[in-house]
Amino acid sequence: MRGRNHQEEEDGHGIDLAPMLDFVLNLLIFFIIITSFIKQPGVKVTKPEAVTAEHKDNGNIIIAIRANGDIWMDRKKVALPDVRALVERMHAERPEDTVIIAADKDSQSGMVTKIMDEVRGGGIQTVSIGALGQEQ
Amino acid sequence: MRLRRYREEEDASETGIDLAPMLDFVLNLLIFFIITAVFVKETGLTLSRPAPSNQEQKKMDEKGTLFIAVHSDGTISIDKRVIDPAAVRANVERFHAEKPEGPVVVVANTKSPTGVLVRVMDNVRLGGVSNVSIAPSSSGD
Repeated sequence: MRGRNHQEEEDGHGIDLAPMLDFVLNLLIFFIIITSFIKQPGVKVTKPEAVTAEHKDNGNIIIAIRANGDIWMDRKKVALPDVRALVERMHAERPEDTVIIAADKDSQSGMVTKIMDEVRGGGIQTVSIGALGQEQ
Repeated sequence: MRLRRYREEEDASETGIDLAPMLDFVLNLLIFFIITAVFVKETGLTLSRPAPSNQEQKKMDEKGTLFIAVHSDGTISIDKRVIDPAAVRANVERFHAEKPEGPVVVVANTKSPTGVLVRVMDNVRLGGVSNVSIAPSSSGD
């Protein structure tokens, strides 16, 4: 009975949730956008190590080459001739993105150069080969 | 006046809609996206191809180009002389001292392992030459 009397003077809720809700929604939108930017290959590869490896700022398109020669891109296994079309589409979506070829250290380097040519043909000129820096 | 009366009814809360269930849902969604979000910090080496046009080729020849071959079994050679992977850096440093502008081309056999290729590129960069490009070769060696 006492509680009821008391409540009448205050709001229905103890705390006003509206500002918190605003903030949380902003955070939510931020994370939704972030997740859609980066094209993860979807497989894990053992990358070679390099002391002079540098951080690639716009390296959002990652093409993985497994040791057996399989190409993975955007969580799908793709064939070599399809790489160009996929890169063209991604380039149209976000022109500032660059490509990182994450090749397994046991993969054949001929595959790397082939993919590099396909990516160039697809319109993205800046291609890097993924390598683990010293500090990692 | 109407508002006052509404308040007196005391069953309805102050806000029109109860935000709590929506907030629960949004928080769950938020946690899901935080967990699935990946902040990749990709590191790597920039790849470039040797200049294709004839004029550029001539310019390259004038400056002198160091060709490092990577064979299908992972061995490395300069001028048909097989060298140790650790010696690449010293060779590149010597070349760089002689011809500071000269580019380095890594001629990689298509069947050579990528790990060796990256190691060679890394050593070339350590040797002071940043102008390094790779060219594939499909010859049988």
